Amino acid sequence: MKEPAISSDAPGEKLLMLGNEAIARGAMEAGVQVAAAYPGTPSSEILETLTKVAQKFDIYVEWSTNEKIAFEVALAASICGVRAMASMKHVGVNVAHDPLMTASYIGAKGGLVLLSADDPWAWSSQNEQDNRYIAEQGYIPVLEPSSVQEAKDMMADAFRLSEEFKHLFMVRSVTRISHGRGDVVLGEITRERRKGSFKKDRSWLVYTPVAARKNRLLMIERFERIRQAVDTLPYNRLKLVDRARLGIIACGLSYSYTLEAIKWLELEERVSVLKISTPHPLPQELVKKLLKSAAEIIIVEELEPFVENKVKAIAGEANIPVKIHGKNLLPVIGELSTRKVTEAIARLTNSKPPVNFTKLDKLSEETAPILPWRPPTLCPGCAHRAALYAINSAAQRVARDYGKPTEPIYPGDIGCYTLGYLPPLEAVDTTICMGASIGIANGLAHVVAAPIIAHIGDSTFFHSGIPPLINAVYNKANITVAILDNSATAMTGFQPHPGIGHTATGEETTSVKIEDIARACGVKFVKVADPLDLKKAADVLEKAIRFEGPSVVVLRSPCAIIEQREKRQRGEKTIPYYIDQDKCNEKCGACIKLLGCPAIVKENGKTIIDGPLCTGCGICVQVCPHNAILQES
Amino acid sequence: MAKEFNVLITGVGGQGAILMSELLGEAAVKDDFNVRGSEALGMAVRGGSVVSTIRIGSEIYGPLIPMGKCHLLIGIEPAEALRNISYLSPSSLIILNLRGIVPFTVSQGKSNYPTQDEILEKLNRASRQVIRLDAACLAEEAGNPITANMVMLGAAFGGGQMPVKLETIKAVIQSHFPAKLAPVNIKAFDLGYQACQQAVKN
Ligand SMILES: Cc1ncc(C[n+]2csc(CCOP(=O)(O)OP(=O)(O)O)c2C)c(N)n1
Repeated sequence: MKEPAISSDAPGEKLLMLGNEAIARGAMEAGVQVAAAYPGTPSSEILETLTKVAQKFDIYVEWSTNEKIAFEVALAASICGVRAMASMKHVGVNVAHDPLMTASYIGAKGGLVLLSADDPWAWSSQNEQDNRYIAEQGYIPVLEPSSVQEAKDMMADAFRLSEEFKHLFMVRSVTRISHGRGDVVLGEITRERRKGSFKKDRSWLVYTPVAARKNRLLMIERFERIRQAVDTLPYNRLKLVDRARLGIIACGLSYSYTLEAIKWLELEERVSVLKISTPHPLPQELVKKLLKSAAEIIIVEELEPFVENKVKAIAGEANIPVKIHGKNLLPVIGELSTRKVTEAIARLTNSKPPVNFTKLDKLSEETAPILPWRPPTLCPGCAHRAALYAINSAAQRVARDYGKPTEPIYPGDIGCYTLGYLPPLEAVDTTICMGASIGIANGLAHVVAAPIIAHIGDSTFFHSGIPPLINAVYNKANITVAILDNSATAMTGFQPHPGIGHTATGEETTSVKIEDIARACGVKFVKVADPLDLKKAADVLEKAIRFEGPSVVVLRSPCAIIEQREKRQRGEKTIPYYIDQDKCNEKCGACIKLLGCPAIVKENGKTIIDGPLCTGCGICVQVCPHNAILQES
Repeated sequence: MAKEFNVLITGVGGQGAILMSELLGEAAVKDDFNVRGSEALGMAVRGGSVVSTIRIGSEIYGPLIPMGKCHLLIGIEPAEALRNISYLSPSSLIILNLRGIVPFTVSQGKSNYPTQDEILEKLNRASRQVIRLDAACLAEEAGNPITANMVMLGAAFGGGQMPVKLETIKAVIQSHFPAKLAPVNIKAFDLGYQACQQAVKN
């Protein structure tokens, strides 16, 4: 593995970094010894970066089976006095929520940092949840970087603060920090390594009601001390301008948009700005100072009015007569931008943005109708396409026997296969959260009469698919579960998982077999099939759907991207298919209509295969009614 | 030192936009500029539209280019350049690869792909300078069709406005690729550079 530039041991050096690399670097500078994560955009590159330096810097890193476990692994290390972190996307924190709510009672011995990567505008997510609320619920202080440099610095400081206050800290990133780039000045890497030691202490670690009550009090005290400290934390900064009418409170990344907006509107000498990096707990004294200095205030923050509501409460309690704006002028939905912030500030200052946004909007609107629709799609050769096609054919066959018109139902899950919701496959009827395919199927089985086929990826099955499968067996839900095993966590960047046979750092390990798990759960019909053989796969699936009681079919075929990559490395050639135009019926188009493979396209009325894109999976051959698709020799 | 130079790279997942912004950003840091940027990673890369931004200068803060403030648009795919028209101003320089990638939705009859004339007509309304080239053709001339992104990066420097030094970006490209692949990438960069300079003169 090539050593990444960020392992450079040259303090003071300036490097370009991805936000997630900077976060990893910050942890290295703090001397993190244990890092656990489950992949999820936009957080995955943090642990990926750490795997590359794990050996050199003696850091234990793991891809955990899910976020709850990742957090527990880090918590255990902290209890033993070792600096530890868990990183995950915002919805991952929901999975870790249970231990998290008691972890704040425990606090921290070794510095403990939870990195939550939120995703405003849900670029790669099922929702836009704002994890500052989770932090608030658990008395967990939050550090929120405004730049890539700060992401590194805060991450390093979070460990230090965690030990100083004996409490866990959350660093909350967002997509534009995690996947942002910036120049970062390196600090020193901590090389010192501690030995973990577990000291039995039941009143601290065994959460009986008595321990809960006692530790809850201690937690509240710790949090109070942190509240008092954040006013002097250098990340929170107040710039008061004499006689400024408007005060701006800018939180996290929004601070960067705010600075640009102020510069754009040339208001540097006319507005006061409070930069907030700890939305929880707020630096109350700084907030009060600003509130007292201005006639109007605007809070600039992405997503929910989290800071806004607190500021309003502070103003009310302290009886400060000031008009407070926020979500009345800025959206709760999506990301902020320099434009949005500029427009809001312009309204409050009667100034005029130097760019005519209305004209640009009009240009965009006029352009939109001629733009092609380019959704992300299953790759050429993706076995999920074959699997979903086979599921469709099998389920339709069974549905026909229901007597009256019946539509099979496909509770789906989260992964590349979610893209099968698009035409022509249209084989995803629900997508809610990881593991919900099987959970929803359980519920459906008791209320509707239709073939119910849940499908779920291999990584997702390990993550949260097993308890709902057991539930189906226990409660006799008549469902079929198709496990789409491409031997990767593909959607998030091909990370390994318990079924792969190697760990995050590439060490060999036991590969856990999905079919063994299904059998051990008590499923009586368990079969493995190759989805690229459409007919055989559909026949197996049909039997499974007709089976009385829960059934499982593992559809196993490796991720085409990984396979192509490995083939290239081995120097093997891919032999693509082509369409014999003498045999092809131009009006048919079955291959395009049934499969939607991006390698099959129409050109001047003819259907052709785009050779360089074709991986040679051969499923189009199986659906062509004219035997017109042939492999190049 | 430049106060603010905003580069928007637009294309389709898999075309190499991320690598271009990484190399450009790295070179800008080497030349001692402040750099900010943002990538579309994750869901968007499965054949979807992608946008990378790199901002260079002493007065930049956010990761994103404000609307109407793009100085240089590198359009690796023409329709995707058009999709980002609202970032342009009359003084933006657009380097446009004419080779389109038609999405599968067009073959399925679910959407249409604009003609080259439609694309150019709209872009010409937004900006005064549109430089057109066929990156795939130049990449083949360089010796490998996958170097089309280096052709585009070269063209971006050939436009003459880039604050980053030519030697710096070339050194970064040189050291990024394994010794075997560096020459063809440098050649692709040079061909793009020359093609753009030629076009600017005409
Ligand atoms: C709780 C939670 N954690 C992480 C994610 C991010 N995520 C989306 S899909 C996916 C994994 C997909 O892997 P797999 O099920 O094997 O399907 P594949 O993409 O390989 O087809 C992950 C981790 C999420 N959406 N929710």
